[in-house]
Amino acid sequence: MKKNLSKVILQIFLISFIFLALGPILWAIVTSFLPLSSLTAKPIDLDPTKFSLRNYFEVLDTSRGLLSGLINSMIIATFTASVALVVGSAAAYALARLSLPGSNFILLAILATQMFPGIVIAIPLFIVMSRLGMIDTHFGLMFVYLSFVLPIVIWILKGFFENIPIQLEKAAAIDGATNSQTFRFIILPISLPPLFATGVFAFIESWNEFFFAIILTRINVKTAPIAISEFAGQYRTLYGQMLASAVLASLPVVILAIVFRKFILEGFVEGAVKT
Amino acid sequence: MATLKLVNVSKRFGEVIACSNIDLVVNEGEFITLLGPSGCGKTTLLNVVAGLEELTEGEIWIEDRMVNDLSPYERNLAMVFQNYALYPHMTVAENIGFSMRLRKRPKEEIADRVGHVAQTLELEKLLDRLPRELSGGQQQRVAIGRAVIREPTIFLFDEPFSNLDAALRMRMRVEIKELHQRLGTTSVFVTHDQEEALSLSDRIAVMRFGRIEQFGTPEQVYSLPTSKYVARFIGSPQLDIFEGDIESTNEQMNYRIGTERFPMPTLTQLPDKPVDLGVRPEHILLGSEGAPAVVHLVQPIGPFTYVTVTWEGGNATARVSGVSRLRPRDKVNVSYDITGMLFFDRESSLRVELN
Amino acid sequence: MSRSSLSSSLNEIRTAGKYQRSRLRMGILFSLPAIFILLAVLAYPIISSFILSFQDVRLAAGGIVTEFIGLENYAKIFQDAAFRNAFNNSIYFTVIEVVAVTILSLGLALILNHPLGRPAIYRVVLLIPWALAPVANAVLWKWIYNANYGVLNAIVVGLGLSETPIVWLGSPFLALNMILIADVWKAIPFITLLLLAGLQNIPRRLYKAALMDGATSWQQFMHVTLPGLRTTLIISIVLQSIWALKVFDLVFVLTKGGPADGTVLLNFLSWRVTFNYLNIGYGAAIANVLFLLMFLLALAYIRALRPRSSSNK
Repeated sequence: MKKNLSKVILQIFLISFIFLALGPILWAIVTSFLPLSSLTAKPIDLDPTKFSLRNYFEVLDTSRGLLSGLINSMIIATFTASVALVVGSAAAYALARLSLPGSNFILLAILATQMFPGIVIAIPLFIVMSRLGMIDTHFGLMFVYLSFVLPIVIWILKGFFENIPIQLEKAAAIDGATNSQTFRFIILPISLPPLFATGVFAFIESWNEFFFAIILTRINVKTAPIAISEFAGQYRTLYGQMLASAVLASLPVVILAIVFRKFILEGFVEGAVKT
Repeated sequence: MATLKLVNVSKRFGEVIACSNIDLVVNEGEFITLLGPSGCGKTTLLNVVAGLEELTEGEIWIEDRMVNDLSPYERNLAMVFQNYALYPHMTVAENIGFSMRLRKRPKEEIADRVGHVAQTLELEKLLDRLPRELSGGQQQRVAIGRAVIREPTIFLFDEPFSNLDAALRMRMRVEIKELHQRLGTTSVFVTHDQEEALSLSDRIAVMRFGRIEQFGTPEQVYSLPTSKYVARFIGSPQLDIFEGDIESTNEQMNYRIGTERFPMPTLTQLPDKPVDLGVRPEHILLGSEGAPAVVHLVQPIGPFTYVTVTWEGGNATARVSGVSRLRPRDKVNVSYDITGMLFFDRESSLRVELN
Repeated sequence: MSRSSLSSSLNEIRTAGKYQRSRLRMGILFSLPAIFILLAVLAYPIISSFILSFQDVRLAAGGIVTEFIGLENYAKIFQDAAFRNAFNNSIYFTVIEVVAVTILSLGLALILNHPLGRPAIYRVVLLIPWALAPVANAVLWKWIYNANYGVLNAIVVGLGLSETPIVWLGSPFLALNMILIADVWKAIPFITLLLLAGLQNIPRRLYKAALMDGATSWQQFMHVTLPGLRTTLIISIVLQSIWALKVFDLVFVLTKGGPADGTVLLNFLSWRVTFNYLNIGYGAAIANVLFLLMFLLALAYIRALRPRSSSNK
């Protein structure tokens, strides 16, 4: 009897958890389908017949900046994630296996990079990049994003590489593989799950970044988060459109997270084991 | 097929000495085993020979080349690992053919050679499988296949059977022995299982604390061990060692343990230092003659029964043929076969030849 | 890394043979691109920022003019009411957030660890708030908190908890707490997943042993679960503290620091001073103080991790 009661309570908790987790998001989506008149009605008019995609069409109009924002974010996030994977996996392998002198120091430094607020490097970075003409360029922003995505990529992949049985690499050496061949033919193919997970993670981090985006871009390279903040900061806020833009800008990352959920969740488990 | 020569090879990891002053010569076509408990340095030595670890001192010669600076591949060795170390994402065929693929051999040549090797190891039907779909024995054969296809001059085995159950071990032992008889490749085998070493090897190097205590044929390490350590390590159950003294009277020489005297062959020369006596189970006799003893443990294992008795000089384990009538707490007398006496210097633990 | 281990690795390099040397070359080659990027983007600016904080920086004639003023910027920090305000806000924000997130996430993780919580749907649901951009999150809550049309007021007024709509972002302390809620909502998924992984790492047999010893559920929680989670908990707290101190997007989108600077956090203050008031040297000083704060926090927690380590496995 007591057991059933606790089960019921648990179930209630679980259901309310889903409401709390998804509620705000569902509400935002519903809002994005409604016209301003419905939203400003008192009480709020939730008539389903008024649902439409009008907000979305208006928001995607090229004059509003969201479309170019999405494109810019797509370019930057994709490139950042790809480069981070290539460069980061190589560095992670070096740290895991190739007995680098000072590797402990490098690891600590990597940990430290996660620990400071962006504002610390913002001004010097801005000054240097102005001089180099990298302000408001895709490449400039990418380069900066690499610097905080790389440490995480290296950290996660290093842990994974270290767990690969060393005998596999010894067997490859005996078979005649050089270090690069071992990396290409043995290590990487085995590591696809964490590679995907860290790649997705790097993409999401780059896509969602706001602070450096507003500092280091002007007009050409406005990213999706900037576009959203502009919608939100308007004098006369068009609520439906504001939320439509937020939904659109969030779709890519949410879809990625759901598609690759298995790898991401496995990544958490790996991380916990390492600690 | 080649000779392998280790000259004064040492390997240190920082302060820790893993192997020291190893001198070893393996003749062409010989199958030798590095035998010892965990931590004795046998795997490290194997890795050094393979080139997977850099030696700290000494030289390694394969045939007439000094290979210290050569990579494992350049030394033309092949190795079979304890955990098979098969590439998990490649099929059996790809695993075996990997080394050829690295050398960019044409596909037909690879397929051809892989097919041959698979046939000799009865792996033809498994060529498209992934390692995780194979049984332990099958995986081990794939590992051997990967080594064989290289046609190396020397085979190295790193405790390849440790992960297999007892029955499978016996079968794999037979396969390795047959393989060696067929190919005749110089082989270095590492194990902690003395029975395995005895059954497979032409010669055995018994190792301890990074050094080779004895390097000899199975017969030599069994019957003529150079030290107590070797005598104890080889042979199961362990031989018993008794502390006593040689007494010589005009008519008879005896070995006295406590108050009991046991006959021994007459010696022309007495040793000047005290010696201990070692006797293997098959040379310990239980019956009506000898020192009084009480049966402590009876372990029947089928063809034999091991009977452990307690007597004045300590414990003694005898190997009795077939089934024994003895039960714990029975009274019996214990003595030994004169031909099975091994004497060891009490202080240095080295065996001494007495005549 | 200690001196002796560095010198011993250098020694190893000197005595290494040809084969070892090639591995070393490979190691350096593989890690060079990453190290280069990190040094270029991070190392130089950090040092430069440190130097800037000792200077008075002004924009003049299309360039910047710097003048060394020693510790003046830092001295100003102690007298600055705005800094004190931001500091208090940040401390309050961080402490409450860490406590709330940790407790709520632990509860959620425990529920998800239960057989009823097994279905994958629950974990997927967690990923969605996690994946959102902080800016998108801010927009979400901006709409919910809207004084006239927001759903929160609809609920509060509809349930009769208040007669008139509340301007959630209108009073300083209230606004700070509303931002807190928004950030806690977004932060819970990650910490929950982390703690869940930690929970699943605790060997089942410890619970069985406790059961055999007659432990109640509560005792099992205190003596098996919590000790087993110790490392994961500490890491969660460290991460969450650092992230709470870094909060920026929410403040920027929701309140821009208002009302009456009630929602100005240290991070935001530094940004405002640097980019709005263009007092670059002072802004750098504030940033470095924040950096120091985070650094000390991390150190303290790492120290807390040291003793009694690896007794969980």
